[in-house]
Amino acid sequence: MIVTEGIKKIFQAGDVETIALRNVSLTVETGDFVAVMGPSGCGKTTLLNILGLIDQANAGEYYFLGHQVSRLSDKQKAKLRKENIGFVFQNFNLIDELTVHENIELPLIYLGWKKKSRKQRVREIIEKMEISHRKNLFPLQLSGGQQQRVAVARAVVANPALILADEPTGNLDSMHGEEVMNLLNDLNKEGTTIVMVTHSRRDASYSHRIINLFDGQIINENLNKLM
Amino acid sequence: MITNYFKIGFRILIRQRSYTVLNILGLSIGIAVFVFIYLYVQSEIRYDRYWSDSKNIYRVWNEYSLEGKVEKVAISPFRLAGTLKKNFPEVVEATKLFFTDPSDVNDMSSLTYNGKVYEVPNITLSDSGLFRIFNYNFFEGDPRTALSKPNSMVISAKVARQLFGNEKAVGKKLKTVRREYTVTGVFDKNTCPTHLDFDAVVSEYSLSPKSLQKMNSDWFWLGVYTYVKLADTVSPESFEKRANDFISKQISAFIDSANINIDGYMVYSLEPVRSIHFNTSLAYDSPSNTNSGYLIIFSIIAGFILLTASINYINLAMARSLKRAKEVGMRKVLGAFRKQLAMQYISEAFIVVFIAFILALSLVELLMPWFNALVGKNLTLVGNLFSRQGIVFGLLLIFMMIILAVVSGIFPAFILSRYNPANVLKGNNFFININGKRGISAGGIRKVLVVIQYVVSIGMIIATMIIFSQMKFLKNYDPGFDEKNIIVINTPDDTAYYQQADEFKIELKAIPGVIGVSTANNAPGYTYGKSLFHAGDTSDKALQTLSLYIVDTGFFNVLKIPLVEGKFFDSKMETDTGHYYIINQAAAKDLDLDEPVGSRLEVSFFEKTNGRIVGVVKDFNFYSLHTGIEPLVFLLYPKESRYILVRLDEKHKNVAIAEINKVWDKYNKGHFMHYTFLKDKIQSLYGADLKMLSVFIYFTLFVMFISSLGLYGLSSFLIEQRTKEIAIRKVLGGSDRRIILLLIKDYFRLVIIAGLLASPVVYYLMNKWLNTFSAHISINGWYFVAGILLMMALAFLSVVIRSFHVLRQNPALALKYE
Repeated sequence: MIVTEGIKKIFQAGDVETIALRNVSLTVETGDFVAVMGPSGCGKTTLLNILGLIDQANAGEYYFLGHQVSRLSDKQKAKLRKENIGFVFQNFNLIDELTVHENIELPLIYLGWKKKSRKQRVREIIEKMEISHRKNLFPLQLSGGQQQRVAVARAVVANPALILADEPTGNLDSMHGEEVMNLLNDLNKEGTTIVMVTHSRRDASYSHRIINLFDGQIINENLNKLM
Repeated sequence: MITNYFKIGFRILIRQRSYTVLNILGLSIGIAVFVFIYLYVQSEIRYDRYWSDSKNIYRVWNEYSLEGKVEKVAISPFRLAGTLKKNFPEVVEATKLFFTDPSDVNDMSSLTYNGKVYEVPNITLSDSGLFRIFNYNFFEGDPRTALSKPNSMVISAKVARQLFGNEKAVGKKLKTVRREYTVTGVFDKNTCPTHLDFDAVVSEYSLSPKSLQKMNSDWFWLGVYTYVKLADTVSPESFEKRANDFISKQISAFIDSANINIDGYMVYSLEPVRSIHFNTSLAYDSPSNTNSGYLIIFSIIAGFILLTASINYINLAMARSLKRAKEVGMRKVLGAFRKQLAMQYISEAFIVVFIAFILALSLVELLMPWFNALVGKNLTLVGNLFSRQGIVFGLLLIFMMIILAVVSGIFPAFILSRYNPANVLKGNNFFININGKRGISAGGIRKVLVVIQYVVSIGMIIATMIIFSQMKFLKNYDPGFDEKNIIVINTPDDTAYYQQADEFKIELKAIPGVIGVSTANNAPGYTYGKSLFHAGDTSDKALQTLSLYIVDTGFFNVLKIPLVEGKFFDSKMETDTGHYYIINQAAAKDLDLDEPVGSRLEVSFFEKTNGRIVGVVKDFNFYSLHTGIEPLVFLLYPKESRYILVRLDEKHKNVAIAEINKVWDKYNKGHFMHYTFLKDKIQSLYGADLKMLSVFIYFTLFVMFISSLGLYGLSSFLIEQRTKEIAIRKVLGGSDRRIILLLIKDYFRLVIIAGLLASPVVYYLMNKWLNTFSAHISINGWYFVAGILLMMALAFLSVVIRSFHVLRQNPALALKYE
C-alpha cells in the first residue's frame, strides 16, 4: 500500500534550514498496523503528513496505492486522500461549530454522498462507536475521550483503507486512551491499515511493527509480535 | 451543501458575536449611506424625464454679443415662441413662461379670495401651450384649454387647498389688485421633478392689449423662457440653423425699423429639457439647477463609504482567520476543495451582508425625514421601491448584496484556503504572518486595505475642514457694504402705491427703530438684467452692457457704500429734470473713463436717458462670491422701485418690523408684505455650497466612524494574537506605555502613508473648488497636518481601548498555555 524510497524533507525559515527527514524508505502492506516512535522533533509528524498527502517531500519517491505521488496534482491528491485516508489527531481537530453528527458527516459531504446514504452511514458509525446519545452535542460539550471517539468515527466513516493517527491518546488519560486504542485495534482487525505516531510504548504494543525515528532517519524497525 | 454552508455560517457568526455585531453595524451604515445617495442621485437625474416625449422637448436659449462681450442667457423674447410655432411646421407645440425668481416674490404674489389676502409664492404668465408640452397631472380642469382664455388662472393643488380647503376650485374668482381671475385648473406640482417652479399661472391674454402688442413687436426684450416640442423626425441641429436664419432676418428688419445701431449678434440654441437641470452656465436660469459635479462627488463618496465598510469585513475576516486556521486545515484534510472552502466564506459574508441590508433599509426609512431636510427633497424609500423604477432599484440592491458578499468573502477565502494544512494542524501559526515567498501575505493585504480606508478618511476630513473654513470666510467676508440689519420689502406692483410712495416712505422713516429707508429696482443679491450704455460725449462711442441699479437718494446711505470721487445723489437732483449717474470703480474702468465725474452716459431704459456721472463709489460685491466684482451703474430715478430697503436698529428690530407691517397695511390694502433680511438673501446664494458642506460633514463622520469601528475590531484581534508577546515583554519589565507605543507604531506609520497619498488629491480638488469663488481662503499645510493628526488620534483611541484590556491581564495567564 505504501512504499517510500529515500524521502527527504527540509524546512526553511529564513536562512536556517532544518532537515526533518533524511532518506526515509519504508513499506507498509495492506492490513498492517505500524507504530512510528521517536523523540520530539525527530520527524514523526512530518512523515505522517507526507504519507497522508498533506505535505510533500523535497526528494525521494512515494507510492501510495501504486500512484507515484510526486506526479499527482493537488486536486488528484485531495481526491486520493479523501477516498482512502482517515486522520486521527492528538488534539482531535474537530470543528467546534459542527455537532458530533455533522463532524462525522463532513468527509461524506466532501465525497459527494447523497444525503440519505450519508445519514444512514453516520448512524451506523455512531452506533458502533456508542455515541448515539451525544450526536447533537458540540465538541466543546464533550470530554477529551469522547471527542477522540468522534474523531475516530469521522476518520473511519468513509471506510478508508488507511488510517493515519498522530498521537491519538496524547491528550487522554490512560482509561480513555485504552478505549481509543481498542477502537483502532478493532478497525485493524477488520482490515484497515493503520500508521500511528506515538510516544507511548503501551500504545505501540498494539501494533504489528514499530519504526524508530531519530533525527529524521529510521534507526531500526522491530516486528512487535516477535518482541 | 448550500444549507450546510449557511448553517455553519450562522453558528460561527453567533459564536463570534462581537465580531458579527461590529461587521453588521459598519456595513449597514455604509449601505444606508449608499442607498440615501442613490435615491438622491436618482431623483436628480430624473429631472424633466417624465414629460411625454421629453426627448423632443427643448428650451431655446440665447447667446448674444455686444462689443465683444458675450452673454449666455436662458431667457428669450416674448415673441419667439409664437414666431417659431407660426413659421415652422416641425414645431408641434411652443410655449413661453415668464421669467420669475422663485426665491423672490413678484408683483402678483398676493391673491384676494373672499376678502382675505393670501400670499402665493410664485405666480407666472404663460399660454395654452404650457400644459400641452408639460403634461402635469390635473386634479381639476382641462390642461389643453385651461390657459386659452383671458383672465384664466391655473393653480397648484397646494394653493387650491390653502385657498379653498376641500371645495372645488374651478370657477372660483381670485383677485389681484389689477384684475379678477377665474380658476380654470388645478395641477399637481409634484407630478415629476422639474426645473419648472410655479404655483399659479395666468394666461398671456390677461395682459393689456397694449403691452401684449408691445412685447410681441420687440426682439430685444428678453423676459420669458421659450420651450418647443419638435416632431419626432426633426433633427434639432437643422431646425436650429433654419430658425436662426429666419430670426436673424426678422431682427435685422426690426433693427432697421427701430433705427438702432448695434454691433453684435444674437444666436438661439436648443437645449434638451432633460439636461436643463444640470446646466449652470446660463444666466437667469432656474435656481434649482445644479452642477452635475456634485452628483459625481456624492456618488464617489458613497462608493468610498461602502468600500470602507467592506474593507472592515475583509480585514476582520482575515485577522480572525487565525482562529479558524484549524477548521480550514481539517476541512482540507477531509478533502474540501478550495472552491468549497471559498463558498463557506462567501456564505458567511452573505449572511452578514443580508442582515446588514435589512438593517440598512430600516435605518434609511427611519432617517428619511432627517435626510430630506438635509438635502431639501421629498424622497421616500418605499415609494421608490414600488415605483416604475422600483424593479431597477430592487435589482440593484440584490446585485449589490451579491457583489458585497463575494468581494468581502473572497479575500479571506483566498487567503485562508491557501494555508498548508500540515502546518495549521500542528498549531504553529507563525507562518500566517510571514507566509513565505508566495506572493502578498495576509498582513500585507491588510495593510494596503487599512491604508485605503485612511486615505478616504483623511481626504474627507481635510476636505471638510477646507470647505468649512471657506464657508466661514464667506460668512465673515466684508462685501463692501453693510448687509446687516437690512430688510428688503417687495413693493406692490400697484399704481395706487406709487401715488403715495413718498408719504409711505416718510411714515416708514418715522418709525422708531428704523434708521434709513431707500427704494430701488435692484439690490445686492437680487441683481438682474443688464442694460446697454453709451459712454462719453460722442454718439459713436462704444455700447456697453452693464448692470443697472435704479435708486433713490437714500440708497448709498442705507447700504453704507463709501464714495471715492464726486458726490452722492441729493434731493435737488431728485426734483430737477436732468438725469444723474453714479458708477462703481469697475464701471469707470470698463467704460474707459479717465475722469468719470462729469462724463456723459446714456442708457436705453424706457427711452434714451442721457445724463451726467456725478460720483464714483467703491466697488462692492453685489452678488455671491462665485462671481467677481462687476461694473455697476446707478441711475437716480426714485419713481422706479421693486424693493424697499429698510435699515433697522439692531436692538429694536422686531418692534420696528411690526410697526412697518402696520404702516404697510394702511397704504397697501390687498397686498401681503413680503420681506427678507438682506443678509439671509445673500447667504442663500451659497445654498448649494452649504448643502455640500453639511453633506460632507455627515459623510466624513460616517467614514470616520466606520473606519474606527474596523480598526477597533482589527486591533483587538491582532492584540489577541500578540497576547503572548505582550506577556513576555511585561515579564521582562516592559512598561505599559512602551508596549502601547509598540502596538500603535504600525498604525501611525500607515496613517502617515495614507496622509501623504491623500494630500495631493485633496489639494488639487479643493483648489479647483475654491477657484469657483472670486475670494477664497488659501490652503495651507495646517489642514493636512490637522487631518493626519486627527486620524492618528482616532487610531490611537481605537487601539488603546483594546490594549488596556490585554495589558491589565496577568501575564502568567497568557504564558501558561504555551
